[in-house]
Parts: sequence; C-alpha cells; structure tokens
Amino acid sequence: MEDRPPQEKPLVERARRGDVEAYEELVRMHQTIAFRTAFAVTRSAADAEEAVQEAFVKAHGALGRFRSGAPFRPWLLAIVVNEARNRIAAGGRRERLALRAGEERRQEDAVPSPEAALLSRERREELLDAIESLPERDRLVIWCRHLLELSEAETAAALDCRRGTVKSRLSRALERLRAELGEEA
Amino acid sequence: MSELQRELELLRADVEFPATPDIAATVGQRVGRPARRRPRAPRRLALALVAALVLLAALTAAVPSARDAVLDLFGLDGATVEIRPELPSSETAPDLRLGERSSLGAAREAADYHVLVPAALGPPDGVFLNRAAPGGEVSLSYRDGRLLVSQFRGDRDPDYVGKIASQATTVHRLEGAVWIEGAPHFFFYRMPDGGLREDTLRLAGNVLLVERGELLVRIEGARSERRALEIADSLR
Repeated sequence: MEDRPPQEKPLVERARRGDVEAYEELVRMHQTIAFRTAFAVTRSAADAEEAVQEAFVKAHGALGRFRSGAPFRPWLLAIVVNEARNRIAAGGRRERLALRAGEERRQEDAVPSPEAALLSRERREELLDAIESLPERDRLVIWCRHLLELSEAETAAALDCRRGTVKSRLSRALERLRAELGEEA
Repeated sequence: MSELQRELELLRADVEFPATPDIAATVGQRVGRPARRRPRAPRRLALALVAALVLLAALTAAVPSARDAVLDLFGLDGATVEIRPELPSSETAPDLRLGERSSLGAAREAADYHVLVPAALGPPDGVFLNRAAPGGEVSLSYRDGRLLVSQFRGDRDPDYVGKIASQATTVHRLEGAVWIEGAPHFFFYRMPDGGLREDTLRLAGNVLLVERGELLVRIEGARSERRALEIADSLR
C-alpha cells in the first residue's frame, strides 16, 4: 500500500508552490481513505467529514514542512487521526454509530462471488459488534490493518507509534477479539 | 494468516462505509480563498515591474541611486514585500511604534476583530495597542521583546504595511504566508494620508507574514521558519 500513484509527487510539488488546483487533486486522491480513517475514530460521518476537511486544510498549511519526496498518505493520515480525536475530545455531540455490514446485496447478485458465500451476514454482524466492543486502541489497529487495508507504515503514522508496535498491538487486539467472540486462539 | 484474520479480510469487502463526501472544492476554497482573493496582486506585480523598468531606464540615464527600483513584489492582504537592489538609507532610530501599552483584555475590547494568541508561546510579557491602524493593531511581546506577534485587519487597508528587502534577503513564498530571513530589511506603515513612515526593524531579520482570515499576522524574531510556522499554527 506504500506504492504511490505516479502523479502524487508532482501534485505535492505544485501544491507546495501554491497551486490550489493541484492540491484539490490531491484531496480527491486521498479523501476516501482519509474519511474512512476519520470515521474509524469518530464513528460519526458528520464528525469525520469535519475532521477530514480540517485535516486537509492543516496539511496544506504545513506543506512547507512536508519532506519532499516522502509519501503523502501516512503524513496526511496522522493529521486526520489527530483531528478526528480532537472532534471526540470536543464532546460527543453527535450520535456515534457502529459500522454495519452491507445489506444482503450479494445475494441479489446474479453471480455471487465465492467469498461472499463464506461469510454469512450473521457472522459479519458478529465480527463488527465484537470489534466495536473493543477498547479504542485495539479497535483502531484492527480497523487500520484489516478494514482500511493500511500498510504497517501508514498504520504506525496514523496511530503515532512505531511499526514494531503496530505488530504487537495488532496481535494483542486479535487475541482480545477472539476472546470477545468466545473463540480459542 | 489465522482463520480470524482471513475472516477479517473477507469482512473488508462487505463493510458498508458511509459515502465519502467530496470535499476537494471546499478545501480548495478554504486554502485558496478565490472568492476573497483580490485580483490586485498580479496587477500590482505588473505595475511594479513596469515601474521598475521605467525607473531602471531613468537610473541608467542619470540617477546613481537605485532606491525605487522594485525587483520583485510579494503581496498578501494587508502587506507587501518589495525586493530592491539596495535598501533605502534612513536616519530613523530603531523603533517599532507598537502603540500604547495595554493588556490582553483591553486590547481585545479595542480591536474590532478576534485577537489571536499563539498557544505555543504562553502568556505574553507585553501587550501593545496601536489605535492608528485600521481596525486597531495588537502586538504581543515575548522573550523581553525579542519575539513579537502583531496583527491587524488586512482587509481594511490592503496597503497598510510593507517591507522593503534587499537581494541579500531570503524571501520564501508560502501559501497565504511569506517568510523573510537574513539581511535586515525595512519595515514601513502607510499612513492614512498616503505618506510612508519608514522604520528599520529592531528585531533579527526573521519575519513570517501570515494571512489568517481577515487578519494579517506578523511574527518577528522567531529562530527559524519552522518555529515561526509552529507559532502561526498555534494561533487561536
């Protein structure tokens, strides 16, 4: 996941020189992963949107300090998570929603994928409920690595820890998830 | 990969995230502010270049001083930075003309805007209010006056302050900000009657000019551009 789109570096350079259109292009390139990461923290779409918007504005203001040639995404996600946590700290003014599994849309597909058949709707709900019941530290590392498919480096940046810590934290989080599900390791 | 991890991989494909809002245009507007941006900057730059050419022609013909030649011009709402071949000479004693000594509470009452205070610096050791500035200018002094954070409404008079720097000065253009570092440079207020009041900078030559909404904030005396940006980021 650390492979960068080839156009990212020139866009960052243009944005650093004050090209707003180039920065808008960068925003479009990363807004989905940024929004989903913020949602993982806030579990409120409205808070996540505010956090991501603020994070992109702050990232733009800090572009002068961004190391030239470095991947943009981990740096951005660190700012996103920080902003999302600020929203939580500012007060739970919005209802926090747990993520839900998709509707039974796969069953309506003309040709269901073989994977879809392997995970029943009940199992999906059970897994999501169990993840949701974990402490934030465990929940976020599972979200980042498994649901958002962030790399270890990106997860480390987002959670402000070392890559080695991501491994150990994920291992412990999975143990707790198994316990929550009432399963043996 | 354990069975649980394999299930989580499958779960990823089935999770229904809320729809991602398209925020690119909103962010673009916030960082670029095209609605508020006045077309004057390029126009002024063009005018300055024309003026420079005219002046250079005149200088070549007769006048040995290059005082008024403008080599480059950086515009922000409320301030200009002009790069000239030579700095003008001045007999004026260093004086920042900060206005009357005040308190944060009184300055906030007097200014017609929300006074920003940098959280990164703690409480100021001095607060000054210059009522002559459009909307009032508030200056916060730190480290016994060696670091100064001043602010005023740049939208009230787009040409209220200016700086004249020499070629030896490093001027770094950032989005919504200009960093000036190195050789000493001139600083002037443009008075309501249109006249200039020039003043040398008392502080070290490092200055960050930052646009923050309708305000123009000057951070003078920070150790480095990075530190100045940290201070600017902490303005609340």
